[in-house]
Amino acid sequence: MLSVKNIVKQYENHRALDDVSLEVPTGKIFGLLGPNGAGKTSLIRIITQITAPDSGEVIFNGKKLDSSHIAQIGYLPEERGLYKKMEIGEQVLYLSKLKGLSTAEATKRIKFWFEKLGMESWWNKKVEDLSKGMQQKVQFVATILHQPELIILDEPFSGFDPVNADIIKNEILELNKQGSTFIFSTHRMESVEELCDHIALINRSKKILDGSVDDIKDMYRNNTYWIQYEGNYDLSGIALLGTVLQTEQVKNTTLIKVQLQEGQSVNELLAALLPYVAIHRLDEVIPTMNDIFIDKVKNVN
Amino acid sequence: MNKILLIIQREYLSRVKKKSFIVMTLLTPLIIAIFYGIIIYFSVKGVNGTFTKVAVINENKTLTEQLKSTPTFGYTYENKSLAQMKADLGKTGYDYILYLPDFKLDNPTGVQILGTKQAGLTLSGRISSQIENLIRNQKLKDSGLTQADVDKLKSDVDISVKKIGETGKEEDSSAGAATIIAYVSGVIMFMFILLYGIQVMRGVIEEKTSRIIEVMISSVKPFQLMMGKIIGIALVGLTQFILWIVLTASISTVAVKVLVGKEEAKQISSMQAAGPGKQAVQAAGPIGDIQKSLASLNFPKIISVFFFFFIGGYLFYSALYAAIGSAVDSETETQQFMMPVMMPLLLGYALSLSVVTTDPYGNIAFWLSIIPFTSPIAMMVRLPYGVPDWQLALSMLLLIVGFIGTVWMASRIYRVGILMYGKKTSFKEILKWFSYRN
Repeated sequence: MLSVKNIVKQYENHRALDDVSLEVPTGKIFGLLGPNGAGKTSLIRIITQITAPDSGEVIFNGKKLDSSHIAQIGYLPEERGLYKKMEIGEQVLYLSKLKGLSTAEATKRIKFWFEKLGMESWWNKKVEDLSKGMQQKVQFVATILHQPELIILDEPFSGFDPVNADIIKNEILELNKQGSTFIFSTHRMESVEELCDHIALINRSKKILDGSVDDIKDMYRNNTYWIQYEGNYDLSGIALLGTVLQTEQVKNTTLIKVQLQEGQSVNELLAALLPYVAIHRLDEVIPTMNDIFIDKVKNVN
Repeated sequence: MNKILLIIQREYLSRVKKKSFIVMTLLTPLIIAIFYGIIIYFSVKGVNGTFTKVAVINENKTLTEQLKSTPTFGYTYENKSLAQMKADLGKTGYDYILYLPDFKLDNPTGVQILGTKQAGLTLSGRISSQIENLIRNQKLKDSGLTQADVDKLKSDVDISVKKIGETGKEEDSSAGAATIIAYVSGVIMFMFILLYGIQVMRGVIEEKTSRIIEVMISSVKPFQLMMGKIIGIALVGLTQFILWIVLTASISTVAVKVLVGKEEAKQISSMQAAGPGKQAVQAAGPIGDIQKSLASLNFPKIISVFFFFFIGGYLFYSALYAAIGSAVDSETETQQFMMPVMMPLLLGYALSLSVVTTDPYGNIAFWLSIIPFTSPIAMMVRLPYGVPDWQLALSMLLLIVGFIGTVWMASRIYRVGILMYGKKTSFKEILKWFSYRN
């Protein structure tokens, strides 16, 4: 749906984006990750045509990105804001008319969404009278009202309480099911694991990792397991199978973390242990996105 | 284009619907009308204020002429002695005692004003000038002139100023009326450009600080947003101005009727007809003159030129204000950038009201009214005195070129500035933005 090709963006004395390329597949939720100041916002501003790249290009549905695509993109910036003195209904109407909706159509959809999110009574309220979380909800509605094919959310959950964050998350998933593609910029990894199909990791203006979440996680599995057992066992007995990274006493059981040597399977480890101890638990250590993120970023730095 | 219209609509409606706009629009004409009414009221009733009763004790043998009472002073000649009058002052109801001792007419000394209250400078000044007149008349009569001859000595001169127009025809004109119109339109022009220019700046800062800007420019081009705001606010200004004219005119008509009443209204009209009585001539002289020459001024031309220069000057300056607004994070930071933008406007204002009104055809007046930085004010000040058409056309043309220039410049600064948060901006940096590619 969206191809970013060799984008370079140079500011006065720092390069915000250095030859960044990525593919956002249609109908997926794409996570754009990276520490603060990595260049995420610069990239988003290029996709939303707020700024232009110094070189490289963006292809939207097979065509070079131009102003005709504005109506097909919805953008919720990290720095949120609304006209403080304007009434909510009027404001969302204004924003969606700027995206090309007619007054009648926009009014219909605003009513639908306000009802859906329990905001019916807000129509005549002024923005300054709403709490920050309520303002965010209004802005979310304004972002998706024109039913864009591509929805770009920059830190969408910051400022939401858990209840509202959950409501918004479900709306995102529902819209995604209906076919909208999302780009989702964040550094909160738990929401990435919950929502994203694909990710790209940007650090110091370069893309350092991308792919589907499952593939990346697979890549980072390193044959490590948690095993909890009851009974006494001399761990030197499994030294040939792998390395014990950690040992811990939990009440009357022992918890160990073992990284198996290449070619060894967990079955062999179990076979070695079973005659001597009672196994309570076995888990594969799957790296979280958080671990991968920290690992990758630290390596580069 | 459709998007610019939407933006103009929002900028216009959100301001016109504000309470402060409605209050200002309604209140200002009311205040102007009340001022106008008060001025007319006093010009009819006279600002004479209190009536002062003065007892005159004349011990001068040579001074046979007597002081005549005027609307403000009542002179009564008493034959009592000064000491007796002093003692009875409280009972007799006089405000002051004027004591004229036996002086020589060539050397009047020892005149006294006595009273329970201290006589003010104005009061003693008026009385002394009346005594001076009295002595002059006495001397003239002593040299053998009759009362009729003395009356004839006084003659009022009313200079009729005519301007020879380009066709060679004489036109009634009056420097007085032209100056009033020049001042009024100069001041209004200055006020409007400043007031609405600053509104543009505030609007830009508001969008920046409330962070709506990023949502906006992912939907519209920065240039569209800037122009939409500038045009929307210009329409607010025009609406307010037209309402002020209409409301002021109607309220002051009513106010004159209420405050002045029918009788005095007749009096005004008879005074305007320049009645023969001396009192009437004195009052009607300047007012009648101004009204005569007001009629000779080409108002439709002045008003339409005013609208042109208001729009032109406003566009010229508001684009600069928009650029300033985009470069800062809050209004307190605008100071350093405001100065260079305010200076030419202030200079134009100050010079227009001093140099141009005293020498409306001079070199300075010419250049001020041609250069776009000062022309909106200077040209309005010059206009009532008469400006050759080619100069007016040149000035208008340069103003159009000027505002296209400032709008272009401002849009280049604006598109970069609006996305810069939290940084203190310097002039050097703004110059760099200028050459940024997008």
